[in-house]
Amino acid sequence: MRISHLPVVFEQGTVNMEETVGALELRSVSKIYGRGPKARTAVSDVTLSVRHGEVYGFLGPNGAGKSTTIRMALGLIRPSGGEVRLLGRAVSDPGALRRVGSLVDGGAFYPFLSGRDNLRVLARTQGHAGAAIGSLLERVDLAGDADRKVKDYSLGMKQRLGVAAALLNDPELVILDEPANGLDVAGIQDMRALIRGLAADGKAVFLSSHLLHEVELLCDRVAIVAKGQLLQEAAVRDLLEGDALHIEAEPVEAAIAALAARWPVERVAGGLRVEARRANAPDVARHLHAAGVDIYRLAPYEHSLETIFLTMTKDGHD
Amino acid sequence: MIDAMTAEALKLRGHRATWLMVLIYPIVFLLFVLVQLVTDMTGTAGGAQAPTAALWIEQSHLVWGAPLSSGGRFLIAGFAAVVFAGEYGWNTWKLVIPARARWQLLAAKWIATIILLLAAFAAADLLGLLGSVLRPLAGGPAIPAGVSLSDVAQAHAAAAAHAVLPILYTVVLAGLLAVLTSSILATAGLSVATILLEQLFPSIAFFAYGYAPALTPALAQLLPFYHVTNLVAWAGGSGATIPLGANATIAAPQIVSLAALLGWTAACGALTIYRFGRQDLN
Repeated sequence: MRISHLPVVFEQGTVNMEETVGALELRSVSKIYGRGPKARTAVSDVTLSVRHGEVYGFLGPNGAGKSTTIRMALGLIRPSGGEVRLLGRAVSDPGALRRVGSLVDGGAFYPFLSGRDNLRVLARTQGHAGAAIGSLLERVDLAGDADRKVKDYSLGMKQRLGVAAALLNDPELVILDEPANGLDVAGIQDMRALIRGLAADGKAVFLSSHLLHEVELLCDRVAIVAKGQLLQEAAVRDLLEGDALHIEAEPVEAAIAALAARWPVERVAGGLRVEARRANAPDVARHLHAAGVDIYRLAPYEHSLETIFLTMTKDGHD
Repeated sequence: MIDAMTAEALKLRGHRATWLMVLIYPIVFLLFVLVQLVTDMTGTAGGAQAPTAALWIEQSHLVWGAPLSSGGRFLIAGFAAVVFAGEYGWNTWKLVIPARARWQLLAAKWIATIILLLAAFAAADLLGLLGSVLRPLAGGPAIPAGVSLSDVAQAHAAAAAHAVLPILYTVVLAGLLAVLTSSILATAGLSVATILLEQLFPSIAFFAYGYAPALTPALAQLLPFYHVTNLVAWAGGSGATIPLGANATIAAPQIVSLAALLGWTAACGALTIYRFGRQDLN
């Protein structure tokens, strides 16, 4: 995993301390369209950080400000307030953007050029005339259609070409807006493997998707936004983890007696529900064992990302 | 930067309609030369007399008159409209903007567009010259006595030099309109309107002089319209004089119009960079 380190300088002398620099950092970023009474806030005070080697999911209902945020991260839109930093540098620094790969609006290619020529144009614009376009096309399974004009491509083919374009400069940060759009099941699986492979190579991946199951499988951390505001930023595992344990044990009364003094316990269908976190599971097991209770099953309750997302963004849908 | 310009050329080559707006000059001149040679060979010209040396040289660089004419500039503006505004229509600024600083993307477009246009005019010029040289072999009029290679080269270089600024101004103006309107059609339409305004400017100035005798000459010297007309006239040997009324005219030396148009071109370019640099691309 490649992590950039910079020394932090304090006012009272240089401290030999290092700060891990995020691949993408948004600091109190806002975007307001229009002025006066017609002003509309698209993004409000969003702060988040994407680390190297992780896949970061960016979730929100339609109109939540996801696309605006992604465009600000790519320097396509100027923030009204706050700061966007890429790889430790301001987004206005072209040197930083050159180390970023992006897929925005999957079909944004020159329709009159072939897939290969589109990549050639982009490689030339980036100053990478010698980019390995052939192997990238093979990697996204487009080698056979590389010389067809993009206007004849399906949505899924354009998405795959978009991913190839995003990887053209071997970026350290990859920003993907709805990369699975238009892909079939096999295509989604390939995309999942490709994205995980990028993170395994130490790249930071910032991913916006409405396929919550995919996000659950792919992402290390997620941010949930609604109405332009960041509602939560957390590790997927922490987010999914419930605040209770399900236990099947005998005798039940002895189990309740052993646990009730320390954790709230209630009977539920098929066993007991104990108000304890996953981290408390070994302690719970020890208490039951000490009380002579046999444990048949002990597992944390887990939420699905979909449930969490819908609960958190309910107002956004209303 | 060369890479960015090559990328522009690669894009344009793939867009046949736009590419044709560059290739049209050598194609038309090639056809013109072939028709002329066939006419000479079949004798249907009726034994045309050989022109004077000066006329022969002047006719050999006719193509450089195209960028000075309204029709030629319509084509140049149309070409520039696709190059600059096309990125909005195809939604492709998002693809290329993260790859390079915005001013560099604009500069690459300006340079590539102007190089391609100059190359096309130069190719058409060479074809025209070749045709003039070959005509005697096909039975056409002989090259008149007194035509020297240095005279020909000097005349062609001067004609090309006169065409450079109108091409540059037209391309930069279309680029600005593209950034302001984000539309090929609007850019082309407004460019054509601006060129037509130049043609109508003498009449407008004459009319306006009756109402604002002090303001009209000052505006005429300030705005680019008269200076384009004046430079085109200077390319023909003498400047343009616009009559405004009794004892009142607008006239300027070539150097003044040159400086004024260069100033307008630079101002349009700077405004394009400023506007594009701050533009949100949703």
